[in-house]
Amino acid sequence: MSNTRESTSTEHVSTADLAQHDGSGAAASLPSQPRRRRGAGWALRAEIALLAGPAVIVFLAFVIFPVVMAAYYGFFRWAGYGPPTDFVGLQNYVVILTDPAFLAALGHNAFIVVASIVIQGPIAILLALLLNRKMKGQSIIRVLIFVPYVISEVVVGTGWSLMLATNGALNGFLHNVGLGSWAHDWLSDPNIAIWTLMGILTWKYVGFAVILFLAGLQGIPEELYEAAALDGASFWQIQRRITLPLLGPTLRIWAFLSIIGALQLFDLVYIIWGQYVASTAGTSTMATYMVANGRNAGNYGYGNAVAVVIFLISMIVALIYQRFVLRRDTAGAVTTAKKSGRTKGRRGAAATERTA
Amino acid sequence: MKAKKLLMGAAVLAAGTIALSACSGTSDSSNSSSKVSMTLWQNSTTGPGQQYWKDAIAAFEKANPNVTIKMQSIQNEDLDGKLQTALNSGDAPDIFLQRGGGKMAAMVQAGQLMDITDKISSDTKKVISSGSFKAETYQNKVYAMPLSVLPGGLFYSQDLFKAAGITEAPKTIDDLSADVQKLKATGVSPIALGAKDAWPAAHWFYWFALRECSGSTMEKTADSKSFSDSCWTKAAEDLQNFAGQKPFNDGFLTTSAQQGAGSSAGLVANHKAAMELMGAWDPGVIASLTPDQKPLADLGFYPFPELSSAGKGEPGSIMGGVDGYSCSVKAPKQCADFLNFIASTPQQIAYYKAFNSPPVNTDAQKEVTEPYLKDVLAAYNKAPYVSQWLDTVLGQNIGNALNVAVVDMLAGKTDAKGMIQAANDAAKKG
Amino acid sequence: MTALTVSSRSSRRAARKSLPWGSPAVYFIALIVIALMIVPIAYIIIGGFRTNSQITVDPAGFPNPWNPANYLEVLTGGVFWGQVLNSTITALVTTVGAVGLGLMASYVLARYPFRGSGALYALFAAGLMFPITVAITPLYIVVRNLGLMNSLAGVIIPQIAFALPTTIIILVPFLRAIPDEIQEAAFIDGCSRIGFFFRMVLRLSLPGVITVGILAFIGSWNSYLLPLFILNDQATFTLPLGVQAFSSQYATDTSKVLAFTSLSMIPALIFFSLFERRIVGGLTGAVKG
Repeated sequence: MSNTRESTSTEHVSTADLAQHDGSGAAASLPSQPRRRRGAGWALRAEIALLAGPAVIVFLAFVIFPVVMAAYYGFFRWAGYGPPTDFVGLQNYVVILTDPAFLAALGHNAFIVVASIVIQGPIAILLALLLNRKMKGQSIIRVLIFVPYVISEVVVGTGWSLMLATNGALNGFLHNVGLGSWAHDWLSDPNIAIWTLMGILTWKYVGFAVILFLAGLQGIPEELYEAAALDGASFWQIQRRITLPLLGPTLRIWAFLSIIGALQLFDLVYIIWGQYVASTAGTSTMATYMVANGRNAGNYGYGNAVAVVIFLISMIVALIYQRFVLRRDTAGAVTTAKKSGRTKGRRGAAATERTA
Repeated sequence: MKAKKLLMGAAVLAAGTIALSACSGTSDSSNSSSKVSMTLWQNSTTGPGQQYWKDAIAAFEKANPNVTIKMQSIQNEDLDGKLQTALNSGDAPDIFLQRGGGKMAAMVQAGQLMDITDKISSDTKKVISSGSFKAETYQNKVYAMPLSVLPGGLFYSQDLFKAAGITEAPKTIDDLSADVQKLKATGVSPIALGAKDAWPAAHWFYWFALRECSGSTMEKTADSKSFSDSCWTKAAEDLQNFAGQKPFNDGFLTTSAQQGAGSSAGLVANHKAAMELMGAWDPGVIASLTPDQKPLADLGFYPFPELSSAGKGEPGSIMGGVDGYSCSVKAPKQCADFLNFIASTPQQIAYYKAFNSPPVNTDAQKEVTEPYLKDVLAAYNKAPYVSQWLDTVLGQNIGNALNVAVVDMLAGKTDAKGMIQAANDAAKKG
Repeated sequence: MTALTVSSRSSRRAARKSLPWGSPAVYFIALIVIALMIVPIAYIIIGGFRTNSQITVDPAGFPNPWNPANYLEVLTGGVFWGQVLNSTITALVTTVGAVGLGLMASYVLARYPFRGSGALYALFAAGLMFPITVAITPLYIVVRNLGLMNSLAGVIIPQIAFALPTTIIILVPFLRAIPDEIQEAAFIDGCSRIGFFFRMVLRLSLPGVITVGILAFIGSWNSYLLPLFILNDQATFTLPLGVQAFSSQYATDTSKVLAFTSLSMIPALIFFSLFERRIVGGLTGAVKG
């Protein structure tokens, strides 16, 4: 039991390991029902079509098709009405990649990606470690930490921009307690605006990370702690050697979601800084650049080209991440994984890499 | 059984979808003489302005019982974007605010506006001068009914000026700079700036450009979209120098122009700032933001000062917009009737009273009493050259880019040359 | 170290009775964190009880006197409830659609062997790469051509489509984790794959289904960009649009905006507190596989 637990990522319940010991994963069921094979070809396909069909159709029509159209429009100079007629080839893309405003926005996105992980990660891990014990009030504490995540970005943006305005509540409060010199133009000063944005993002999303990590921590069996304690390990040694590595898959999934979210950030910036001054304040993102220079400026061809660039960047980042980071976990892997029962944590996961 | 469940589920989803698409909010206008319904989009979301439109609609519906008009109030900053989306999607409102200039030209080129040249009634022509129609004309056809002429200049608080020891309005930029220093000494923000909306900051550039550039240069640039003439760079440098003394309120980057007590208009309304450079809609906006929501008692107006070393622009030139209303090309013919209706003298008087801005109707203009509005009209009438707001003239793409570039310069992120470069680059995007 | 063993032993006992108290240090830190989370929200809620002049004079003070007029105005006006209704309809139908379609597709991907399954999964996973901002302009054209502008359906169907990637990515591991023995047992009893799906899979994957349902609901409830493009008529506005429109329209009236904003938070908070256990439980399950 403990062998299989250590050998796989915490993504899979131990019963699944038993299944995979049969051979290939889901395919294990096939050989046991030869009678269904004959004539199963059509019935099988019909079932697949019936079950997966609606999702595939809706997805193709409303996600894939628009993205393909966006790529098509991106080759034109187009004001948005009637069919596009002014073909300019790759020129939009050249302009995008040489526009200092876009490169600045890209830089902001990169900063937000890194800062989100660096700031939220450790805070959330610490909090999760501290809260990972059964105690009175644990439920309420978790609920209250998670609350900001539930609130829409529009509400968060509206509320915070009122609070952080130059003559708003935060500065007022600082004045009231005699810390007036700490009052700043939180939103307007280009030197600190991006940190203000990071502060708001941390406030909103750290609760989500804590809950996710708590869930991951609960997957770590107590016996490990007890065994380590019996061996004389200190609290921090236990965290470093046992908890964090076993929390690894959760951490990696969370980091992935955080990166994708940071690359796509739009609502909060748009609500707080509006469509014009985000770039001046140093908080523009690729998405706000797209809306400001595309739809709001009437340059629909250009805007669509920006959209395609955002997609490609997200895609490349995701693929790199999947390849180099998530490979050690099988979550997100496309093929069915063959697992061998190895006993040590990372090496076991590495063994699955070869077959994944 | 499972097939039934599936079918039921699919039917529910389909029925739900159909039912929901029936819950749509569009109203379609028909051309039959029985019942005509139209939609109106206007940009006044509160107070007397919104009330004016409600009253105007009620009066028109009373006189034309088979017509109903549904009104939507859209915040000024959202209007252009939503309007463009609606026009492009074929879902356009029938009657809507028209800014004119390049924005109107784009709509005409897309065939989205009704040509009302022949639909202007003779009564209307008697009270609205042909000069006022010029702003709503493209290639010799009229596409909107002008309602209010909104020249720009500086609206200021006479009390705050007096408290700073300023006895008369500045006539040159040097005078203005000196006044800025005096106002700073009294602890109040000399100039309120709503840079969050970009165009208020850009207006400072436009006025310097109006003083530096000749009228013909500006018109040529409107066509070529290229800011190669040196007067543009000179104007940018003028602004950069002026801004160097930090005359604007703190946090101007995230101060909006008109929204809330923290906006630039709100700052003036509450005597936290001494003046702002705006168009003639400003008294109305300020009035809605004062503590008692009445027009600011000590409000004054003076035209944008001249340069100390004269540029190529004619002294006394003025820049201003004209607020007008267009009919969409798909609107029923009663739309033109409505336009003539709101241009009539009693309606124009009501408009002026509600918005506190100068009407185009010359009979209505005689009713204007406020001294600052009278100053505005006087400056407008004696101006040798009148230009529209440059961002309207240049169209949405270049206009937006220019506006943002000015904000960048004021925030210190770029210099005069960089600003002009950004404006030139915008042409590449569309 | 002994503390750990003690707590683990006592927690096993304690699980059957009531929970023990944690250490004061933990409570103290938790209190600080909670304060940081809640104070801004409290500010918004309390701010609605003030008047504008109070806010201008003392931005950070308490209401003095407490002024319920703003809240009453918003609650008795039709606008707020209309938007709540729109948001509710949109979110519910989106959730049912996303979960239904997603579950069916996940089942196929997880338990049917066929050649295209890898490619199909990759297709849905690629959907995570497009924020709706990427597709919004052509999407809006598609919606317009289908005649769904200004209707809730024009918001719901694209939302279902964009919720599918997350749904499928979370559900596929769940469904894969259902032991094959159960499936074999069902087949031996003569159940077809589809029968297995309807009878057993739904029940077995309930935690995952609830998780994705909640994610889809929250995602739809808070969505802003898509309704911004599709819904022009104020009667069809959902709450986020309503908050923004309200804050623009009544920008002069900061306290009223705060009242409206805090009221619009409440449905989300109620929903969350009802389902909190499920949400955390669901995330636990998703992480564990």
